[in-house]
Formats: sequence, structure tokens, C-alpha cells
Amino acid sequence: MPEESLLGERYPELGRQLMSVGLTDLLVAVPSFNNEATIERTVQAIEESYQRNFVRDRVVILNLDAGSTDRTTEIVLNMNGRRSGGQRGIMSLRTVHCVTTQYAKVPSQSEALQLILTSADLLEAKACAVVSATTTNVDANWIANLLRPAYKQEFQFVAPLYTRGKYQGLLARTLLYPMSRAVFGCRIREMYSDEWGFSRQLALDCESQNVWKNEEIRARPEAWMAITAMASGYKCCQSFMGPKVAPSGPAPDLVEAIRQTVGNLFWCLEKFESFWVGRSGSDAITTFGSEHDLIEEEPPANSEKIFDLFRSGVEELESILASILTPETHARIKEIAALDAAKFRFGPALWVRTLYEFAAAYHRGVMARNHVIQALVPLYRGQLYSFLLEQANSSPDEIEADTESLCREFENQKPYLVEQWKAKS
Amino acid sequence: MRVMIVQGLQQAYQNLFHMFAEFLPRFVVMLVIILSGLLVAYALRYLVRTTLRLTKLDRLSDEAGASRVLRMAALPSMTELLSRSIFWISLAGFILVGLSVLNIAGLQEQVSRFLHLLPEIVIAMLILFFGLIIANFLSRAALLAAVNAGYTSPKTLSWSIRFVIWILAITMALEELSVARETVIAAFSIVFGALMLGLAIAFGLGGQQLARDFLERNLGDRKKEKTEEPQPL
Repeated sequence: MPEESLLGERYPELGRQLMSVGLTDLLVAVPSFNNEATIERTVQAIEESYQRNFVRDRVVILNLDAGSTDRTTEIVLNMNGRRSGGQRGIMSLRTVHCVTTQYAKVPSQSEALQLILTSADLLEAKACAVVSATTTNVDANWIANLLRPAYKQEFQFVAPLYTRGKYQGLLARTLLYPMSRAVFGCRIREMYSDEWGFSRQLALDCESQNVWKNEEIRARPEAWMAITAMASGYKCCQSFMGPKVAPSGPAPDLVEAIRQTVGNLFWCLEKFESFWVGRSGSDAITTFGSEHDLIEEEPPANSEKIFDLFRSGVEELESILASILTPETHARIKEIAALDAAKFRFGPALWVRTLYEFAAAYHRGVMARNHVIQALVPLYRGQLYSFLLEQANSSPDEIEADTESLCREFENQKPYLVEQWKAKS
Repeated sequence: MRVMIVQGLQQAYQNLFHMFAEFLPRFVVMLVIILSGLLVAYALRYLVRTTLRLTKLDRLSDEAGASRVLRMAALPSMTELLSRSIFWISLAGFILVGLSVLNIAGLQEQVSRFLHLLPEIVIAMLILFFGLIIANFLSRAALLAAVNAGYTSPKTLSWSIRFVIWILAITMALEELSVARETVIAAFSIVFGALMLGLAIAFGLGGQQLARDFLERNLGDRKKEKTEEPQPL
């Protein structure tokens, strides 16, 4: 049994704590690392949700900490103490148990997920959810929205949907969502998200797979889990959460975000090749609540700098792009890079073609894979600048219509991806 | 007179016969050694090729960027290159051993010197090859990082890294061959030292603004920079 070896050999203390809890119906996991400002609110929201929505169910909160150097662990342990003054680490309030442990010395989402799945297996939890400790506005409804479809409605994977600012999450809007939808044929909008829910069946399937050492899923295992659900023919759905307040502190680095998400997506393309190569079109999935919610926001300041970075990237990386892209696509990109900033447009057809050629180059291994992904960053900046120019005066509905049109372009050009994918280097 | 001529011819014939009688077995031995060497070389090539295919070396070579370097140099894949190298090195070794059996004056000494140097030559070639791959990989990584971070002159940085690694690899290869050891080390120290000093002076005098930008970008207030790009996820 995998859970026995992982919990028995590497995390015996966690194993003992879970054994004390006994069998449960629901499990919500909160991976954390130096989140003293938000962890208390997150755990309180989970407890509140349990008390309000799952009164009769056996429930557990699992906090996995990656060796925080601030008061994160202390806060969680004190929350336990405040409730019962009982044993450290394990606490019960009616049927609410809270288990906390340190799982690693550096944060690793894949290692945390493996431990969550193993714990869920041992506890025989029927539905689980993962909630990020960095999110500052988790509330009780979020937890219920993630757990209910997997617990009560036979869905195996539950993705969240958030209210987004007009310029927020553009990597997901212009690349991750349309490409994953076209390739895998399933319309999950927020596949790369810090919150998601899943059933026991999917947990067991994923737990038994030998992928945990792969660097590509280290930071973003949730998308792999979603694609595993699609490839296994499981039912997936989306639940609307409401607005998501970005964590305080510096904004995530674009290069790192692209390395984590696009690297993961391209890796999943290889891993699930037999599933997607023969598919065409895409299927809508059940959505609980609003399907999309865009709100107006101020455009980013000094966006010309983004165009400058695109233009200099195309020029400086010419030899690298030449070995990734076909001569026609490369020539067209150089052509648009020479345009005046005000007239610039990175058309959807060219964008899709570019991405498909990058995916094929990643597959063929024309150079170190990490370098292929990094070479995409300047081109994404071009697409981003084009979006900012085109959508400056668009309403949320118009932006939504454009996203749908981009998705169809990805779907229409999918045969080109297959052709490039199968071509020999 | 006639008898003397006949005797002379007989002597010459006997000498020739004696020479052939002495040379022929050696020649046959040489042929046998070379033919056996050919068979052994073929067997080794097959063995190395099969083993490398099983270990998926070509995939690793693709990922490290080595395959691209090979393609640029119009060379075959890494597996093919290594297995062919093993074939030719072992065949050359057998040919040289075979030639040494002939006992030709002067040749034996050259053969023995070559055989003695052979491991060093192979190691020097490997040092150059891996130096080329590492230089290519690291210079590309530096170029990508510099371009994505928006630094000025990313190609200069990339080429500097490539150049330093090449110099290092060439120095190591020459050191392995024991070619003018002191001169090579002195030349490397001078070139490397001059390069670093040149960069330091150029950066200090000519690149004050660049240095300020660099420090502000890396150690200054990051919030200003981040507002330019909207949140990606």
C-alpha cells in the first residue's frame, strides 16, 4: 500500500495523527509556507464551512507546512489549543479535526499533493479540497463550492472560477485556457489555480501514478490532476467562487509563471499524447454559478515597456527562435516586431501557430526544454501588449467574445499541432 | 665469369627469398591482426550503439542542446558519433599494432609514441566536445535570462560566457596533451585576467548608468517594475 510506505517511513508522526482521527468524509488541505498573515483566516473559513454546510459529516483540516520560519505553524497549533486545550496537533470540535505537520524544508506543491492524496486514502475521505494559504479572502462558501460537487454530485474534479479584473489572469485567458481546451477538449477555465476539489476515486488514481519526482509538476500539480481526470473520462465541473484578492507582497514573476504553467502544459501534452491526438472540438462542462465575471480596472501603467521587451526579445533571440519556429512563422513575427507600437497587432492565427510550433519544438527537444519555454516569454509579451491595445475600450462582454473566438482558432488549428507534433526533427 | 654471375644471381635470389620468407609471415600476421581488429571494432560499435540506444542518450543529448551543436557541425547523432568513434579508435589501434609487427625501422617508434598519446588525444577531444556543449548551454541560458529580465546588451554577456568557457576548455585540452604546458597556462592567465580587468574597467568607467540601473533593478524598489505587467494568473 503506497500510503503505508509514505506515512510509515517518511511521515510516521502524521500517520499517527491521522490514525487518531479515524475515518472521515471530507478533507480540506492547506499547504503553507510563511503565511502568518492569512493562515488563521483560511483555517477559520474552513471550520465555518464545515459547521455551516457539513454538520453531520466527519471532517478534517490538514495543514502541511514547508518549514515556515514565521509564526504560521504556531498560529495553527494555537487555534487547536484555543478550541480544546488538548493535545498538540490534533483537535476536535464536534467532528472537526485539525492535523498539522511539516512536510518539507522547501515548498513543493507536488510533494504536498502526494501527501494529501495519501492522507485522503488512509482516512477514506469521500471528497477533498486544496486551499491556498496565500489567498487572503477565502470564505466558507468557497469550501462548500469546492467540496459539494465531488461529495454530493458525483463530479471527480472541481475547478474554481473567480471574478477577474479586465487585465488580470491574461496568461490563463490568452494561452493556458484556450490551448488546454483545444488540445484536451474540455472547457476548464482555471486549470492552473491554487484552489480545487476532487473525489476519492480521482485521488486514488493520481496517488498510484509514478509522476511525483517530475520537475514539471513540482509547482503545478493541479493541472496534471485535472487532465488525468479528463483522460480517465471522469466528470469535471467548475464552481464560481467570487472575487479573489491577490496575495500581498510582490506580484508573481512572469518568467517563473510561464515556466511553471506552460512547462507543465507542454509536459502534459507529451504524457497524455494518446488521449488528445485523435480528438477534435471541445465539450462544455457543468458550471455552478456564473460562468465568467469580468470587472473593469485600470490598464497597467507604462505598457510600451512590454512592447519594447517583445521587440528586443525577437531581435536578440533570433537564432533561438529560428530553431524553434518554422521559417514562415519566424518571418511573420519579425515582420510584426518591426511595426510601429501604436499599429501593432499579434493576430490570433499567428499566436496559435506560434504556440503550436513551440509545443512541437518542446516535444522534439530541439534544445533544453526549459530554454524552449523561456524563449516564449518575449512572444507572450507581444501578445499581451496586443491585448492591451485592442481591448483598451472593450466591455467585459466583448472581451469574453474575443476569448471565445481565440479558443475556436486554437481548435481550428489543432490539426496543425498534430502535424508538427508528429514531424521528425 | 659466368659462374660468378650465376652465383651472384643465386645469392640475390636467396636473399630475396630469405627476405620474403621472413617478411611474409609477419605480413600475414599483420593482416590477421587488422582483420581481427576490424571484427572487434564492428562488434564494439554494435555493442556501444545498442547500449547507448537503451540508455536513451540521444534524448539526453537533445535536452542538453548537444544534438543541435552536432547538427550545426553536420555531425550525426550522439549515439552514432560515439559508436563510430569507438569503431575508428579501436580499428586504428589494431592497424598500428599490426604495422609494428612488420619491424620496419623507425615506424615502430612512431607507432609506440602514437599509441602512448592516444588516450590523451581522446581525452582532449572529449574535453573540447563537452566544453563546446557546456559553453553553448550556459551562454544560451544567460542570453534568455538577460533578454527576459530586460537587461541591455544580453548578447555581449552571452558571448563573454561562451568565450571564457571555450578558452578554459582549449587550455584544459592542451594541458592534457602536455603541449607547451607553461606557455598555455601563462597565456590563459593573461587572457582571462585581461578580460576580467577589461570588463571591470569598462563597467566601472563606461557603464556607471548601467551599473546603477542594474543595482536599482535588483536591489531597489521592485513594486515600480512589477506594475508594468498585469498579474499573469
